[in-house]
Amino acid sequence: MSVEMLKVALIGNPNTGKTSVFNHLTGLNQQVGNYPGITVEKKIGYCKLTRHRKAKIIDLPGTYSLNASSLDESVVIELLMNKNGDDFPDVAIVVSDVENLKRNLLLFTQIKELEIPTILVINMSDRMKRKGISIDIPVLEKELNTKIALVSSRTKNGIDSIKTLLQDYKNISSEACLDTSLIDVTYFDRLKKAFPNQSLYKLWLVITQDVNFGKIDKKPMKDETSFSFATKSNSELKRLQQKETIARYKFINDTLKKGYVVDKSKATDLRSVLDKVLTHKVFGYVIFFGVLLLIFQAIFDWSSVPMDFIDSSFASLGDWVRHTLPGGVFTDLLVDGIIAGLGGIVIFIPQIAFLFLFISVLEESGYMSRVVFLMDRIMRRFGLSGKSVVPLISGTACAIPAIMATRNIESWKERLITILVTPFTTCSARLPVYAILIALVIPDQRILGVFNAQGLTLMFLYLLGFAAAIISAYILNKVLKIKSKSYFVVEMPNYKLPMFKNVFINVFEKTKAFLIDAGKIILAISIVLWFLASYGPGKEFSDAENIVKSEVVNQELSTLELDDKIASYKLEHSYIGIVGKTIEPVIKPLGYDWKIGIALVTSFAAREVFVGTLATIYSVGSAGEEEGTIKQKMAAEVYPNGEKIFTLASGISLLLFYAFAMQCMATLAIVKKETNSWKWPMIQLFGMTAIAYVVALISFQFLK
Amino acid sequence: MINTQEILVYITVLLAVAFLVKKYFYKPKKTSKSCGKDNCGCH
Repeated sequence: MSVEMLKVALIGNPNTGKTSVFNHLTGLNQQVGNYPGITVEKKIGYCKLTRHRKAKIIDLPGTYSLNASSLDESVVIELLMNKNGDDFPDVAIVVSDVENLKRNLLLFTQIKELEIPTILVINMSDRMKRKGISIDIPVLEKELNTKIALVSSRTKNGIDSIKTLLQDYKNISSEACLDTSLIDVTYFDRLKKAFPNQSLYKLWLVITQDVNFGKIDKKPMKDETSFSFATKSNSELKRLQQKETIARYKFINDTLKKGYVVDKSKATDLRSVLDKVLTHKVFGYVIFFGVLLLIFQAIFDWSSVPMDFIDSSFASLGDWVRHTLPGGVFTDLLVDGIIAGLGGIVIFIPQIAFLFLFISVLEESGYMSRVVFLMDRIMRRFGLSGKSVVPLISGTACAIPAIMATRNIESWKERLITILVTPFTTCSARLPVYAILIALVIPDQRILGVFNAQGLTLMFLYLLGFAAAIISAYILNKVLKIKSKSYFVVEMPNYKLPMFKNVFINVFEKTKAFLIDAGKIILAISIVLWFLASYGPGKEFSDAENIVKSEVVNQELSTLELDDKIASYKLEHSYIGIVGKTIEPVIKPLGYDWKIGIALVTSFAAREVFVGTLATIYSVGSAGEEEGTIKQKMAAEVYPNGEKIFTLASGISLLLFYAFAMQCMATLAIVKKETNSWKWPMIQLFGMTAIAYVVALISFQFLK
Repeated sequence: MINTQEILVYITVLLAVAFLVKKYFYKPKKTSKSCGKDNCGCH
């Protein structure tokens, strides 16, 4: 007997614990992708209900209502309105927060009006006692014409009741809670006459939305009749929308009076005390600075043991493969290209996992929203919106989702400035570059007996990224002559202990994305680089052995020294060597040799490619039988005169170059997409590269 | 004469180049369901 697949849309306001419910229902059985045509994240998970029935659960972006004001929100509406769509749900689950039920029910009543069977999940029930809340479920079920699951995603209480309700979804009502047409009977009557086959509420939503819905097409409806959408002006439509919202809240208030009681005398509230401290104009910043310090210390201190282990394991693996397989070019490719390239990816997993662990804990606990509020005071002075803080903070993970997160900034000028400056914030792709360079040139010692100098350098680079972003924003705000208005609203969720499962899934997904998505690119580039470094044109390359032997005929060299000289000569005359040598005059003033130049060029694809490139180049350029670690190979690199290549001056110069340069093709592509023009990504590319070059030049010339 | 190891190298390098070309230069064709330049007439 075949398995029936039930399509379920999981919807809710932000901060209602929707993702926790999704994680509990689906576990690790999740797929993350994008909605077609746009880069809004689409999460799908599967949940087994019975032997013959499974649920395909789509976790939709958080939305406050069906009156979309951003692209993320329009995704929800598009999916719910497109009956012919692949993901149109058989049943919808609206997740609400027990403390904010009134606000959350606005969305619920709107979805009910779309005539989709809808289950109401009231989450965070474990807080009811502490907050003095009591709920009469049967009364609410009757008034809202639905089935309710009282759930605590923290204790997992009630999760099974959602599954039970899903099994019985055919008995869930799809009738609306209230009738929107009552807000203007005449207008809705005309609509009904003009489109007798369409759902009135769907029509109303299409007419009143400000954003582009993609698949929903107004044209056929326009062609059906002479009815004009312009029968009401925009301001009249806005007034009707307000009337609708008031009617909904009246219904919600009346309903909650019957089945929802809050006894404030029983409530014990720690939130206001914590808010006062964490958003204090002095202590708030001190605490935030302390949290950042802790994160960067931990990234270096805690990850050093697993990183050393991974590094030496790959070195041993390379050694083993070289000695086990028959000698030849493919074995060389395996050892110097593939294993060295893979080592350059896997080694950074501990640091990336720690970074996302901390970011997840801060988000889950509710502290991140306080940081947004706190930083708004600073942001305003630099011509940014308070909402710009979210992209700037998410930029520490990756600039691409961060730039997409600017979509909720209403003012075009503020949005454009945020898009242009976000790539300055230190993304996780810079972390491998920073980590290896810091470990090479900054001594591993304690400052004041407590702080690790390497951790402090890393923190400085992160702060430098933020500083560069807000200073550039200030300049752009003065330079760009675009008129616009803006306002700032941020929701402060309740504080809660981070849930292990959510944090784990987030860290797992992000680390996996780095390992798989970035890893594939790094591996492919490593293979191509190995080829370009192992083959070359002309006699200089093919006759390298004889040329070197004739040059050193009068010197007494050991076999290993001679092999090293031949390998080095071959690399210099290989395809990649020719490219590196060509750009060397431009980068020499920054303290870089032609090998670093190659890494700069290849890392334009993605910054983290830098380390893999050097690992491959140094492996090819060495004839040593024993495989050293990446760090050892880089530390051993010298100029022909014996001077070290990676010194404090060249290391700092490189760190600063990567702090400012726009080394990411994918980010440029997303900026082009978001601004709908090549003008802004080109300004970004040349502007940031120029800043990076000048800063790196000054620092090297000053420190050498 | 090209030996087995060299053939394996060329295959691996070709696969890597093909992957990078697909990743950075290949644009998938839009499906009939998606909107064209006219935004489906929504504006």
